[in-house]
Amino acid sequence: MTTKSQKLKMALTSTPMILIYVMVIFCVVAAIRQPSFLSPATVVNLARASIFTMCFAICEMVVIISGGIDVSFPAVGCVAMYVPMYLNYNGIGPDNVFFFFGIAMLIGLFFGVINGILVSCLKLPPLIATLATSSIASGGLIMLLGTREFTSLPDSLEALYATNLLTYTSPDTGFTYPLTILVLVPVLLCVVVAIVMRYTMLGRGLYAIGGDKNAARIAGFNVRLLQFFAYIFCGVVAGATAMIYTTLMHSSTTTALMGEEMIIIAACVVGGCRLTGGHGNVGGTVLGVLLITLVQNNLNMLGIPTCWQTFAVGLILLLGSVLTSVQAKRQARLGKI
Amino acid sequence: MSTSEKKGKGMRLPGVMKDSHILTIIGLMLMVAVIMLILKPDAYFSGKNLTSMIFQFPEYGILAFGMMVCMIAGGIDLSLVGIMNLTGVLAALILKNMVQMDGTTVLNPGMVIPAIALAILVAIVVGAACGAFNGFIIGYFNLPAMLVTLCGLQLYTGLAYGITGGPAINGMCDAFKNIANGTIPGTSIPWVLLIFIAVLLVVAFIMKFTIFGHEIYFLGSNAKAAMYSGINTLRVTVLTYMFSGILGGVSGILITSHLNSAKSSNGSTYTLLTLLIVVLGGIHPDGGRGRVLGVTLSVLLLQMIANAFTLMHVSQNAKTFANGCLLIVALVLSVILANRPAKKKNTASAS
Repeated sequence: MTTKSQKLKMALTSTPMILIYVMVIFCVVAAIRQPSFLSPATVVNLARASIFTMCFAICEMVVIISGGIDVSFPAVGCVAMYVPMYLNYNGIGPDNVFFFFGIAMLIGLFFGVINGILVSCLKLPPLIATLATSSIASGGLIMLLGTREFTSLPDSLEALYATNLLTYTSPDTGFTYPLTILVLVPVLLCVVVAIVMRYTMLGRGLYAIGGDKNAARIAGFNVRLLQFFAYIFCGVVAGATAMIYTTLMHSSTTTALMGEEMIIIAACVVGGCRLTGGHGNVGGTVLGVLLITLVQNNLNMLGIPTCWQTFAVGLILLLGSVLTSVQAKRQARLGKI
Repeated sequence: MSTSEKKGKGMRLPGVMKDSHILTIIGLMLMVAVIMLILKPDAYFSGKNLTSMIFQFPEYGILAFGMMVCMIAGGIDLSLVGIMNLTGVLAALILKNMVQMDGTTVLNPGMVIPAIALAILVAIVVGAACGAFNGFIIGYFNLPAMLVTLCGLQLYTGLAYGITGGPAINGMCDAFKNIANGTIPGTSIPWVLLIFIAVLLVVAFIMKFTIFGHEIYFLGSNAKAAMYSGINTLRVTVLTYMFSGILGGVSGILITSHLNSAKSSNGSTYTLLTLLIVVLGGIHPDGGRGRVLGVTLSVLLLQMIANAFTLMHVSQNAKTFANGCLLIVALVLSVILANRPAKKKNTASAS
């Protein structure tokens, strides 16, 4: 029997609440050390910086919930951002936003299908299979198209870049902090994925196959199809996100996103997804992404040199995963009572 | 393994020859040799090329053994490259601080041997500590090995990056460089070959003839059964990852000596390479099955292929691409081979 106070205690010590405490503490410490931290500019910067981390984390979350893992999305994203720019540079195709995003998503779809075949049809371990896809994608890209860096955008993407939702001008320094319209993409993605995961058969099926494949199969879910869907979704969204990256960063290289997978997986795990599958939700992942972005962008506000940033992210990931494990044990114990 | 497998594959072939993985690898090695015999016979089969091959493979070969041990135990160790770079950085720091150099001449020759000994000791101890930390978190909190070692990779790489602050540490003394670049005086046998063989013998001995080795296999084939039959799984997990960490430390010394420089991002392609070696060598990704011999042969095969690529002037990225394809082929092969005995058994019992 759970009394009201017990319920409150559970709610106050759940994973999302702990993340919120950590973020509040971080902000307070940063604000004490550096009063300029407390300004709308920080919020705008944070929103800007978390755009693509958020999109990647959401697609990675879907794969993790389905019981797999995808480490190929940085390489797939690099292909998806490089090929459209390469085509444009060589004068192939129209100068149209939909064309660029379409090509990027098609490339993502292609690699998603490959991952899907490897994992769901051939039943290979997802980590090793997607690692192999990753090296095929990045090795093949450089082998076929060479390494170049595109730093100028075609006109249509430039126009997209210049479209701002709102612009904040700092009264003291006069710097302007524009918030791009593209920030709506992760917001929309989060809402759609949250609804799909919670209220549709597709979403429940993904949780089911992540929890127990055999039980899900016996309950009538098409395990293969659902796994396929997870990887294809991840590929397509990664492709589109890579194009957003190019638009915002004004740069498209063959290695721009490499190494990003660690931080994304960290964000998912810190947000309460379990790598064994079946657990996790959009709310937790969003908090995880915000925490990681906050730490990445503002570590120097605490007086910690940036060269310790990798270590700090690793530490957060470790504490986050230990926390998830402790929470799981606690829930299991409560269930027994 | 099972009796049906023995019946299915015929009893004429003795011992090792029954292992289809090892036969496949030997076949592939012969294939590479024949192709190179046709394309570039002079360059490939020269003594110089052979020596250059021997200088290259021990550093990732030893890493592959670490990966193998963890995979046999049913886990995976993605932090090996991190451990390698962290130990390499520490060893380089010790050498830089203890041995005073003026250009390339050593000012205090008496300190060289103790400094190298201390560097090696620290590398191995730190490697063991990192590995034991991984193992403890995996075993105590029951977390997936993949996640914990990914954290480990980030932590150890971050530590190495924090210590160096970014730039590489260069210019160690000649005696240290000779560990991975020198040959035994009077002959043309590199020291690293001896180190690799020594590590190979130790790993093979532990996996085959000690209780610990058998516990690793048991833990990998069925962790629950191992626990219920009285094996302290936490202890075995910690020791397994410690073992892998020690191998990471040895490899850290070798790569630092080989490149004569240490930084946090050396050998970043080695994670994929070691996975490829281990899977190609017949270690089943779910654990419990695999031979040291298979991994050793697969290290040699990979080096033969890499060397062939270099001689053909193919770019590094083509190599990455080829490694990815090879990894998938090896995986598919291992899954098919693992399913075949089971299917045979099913059809036999059905008929």
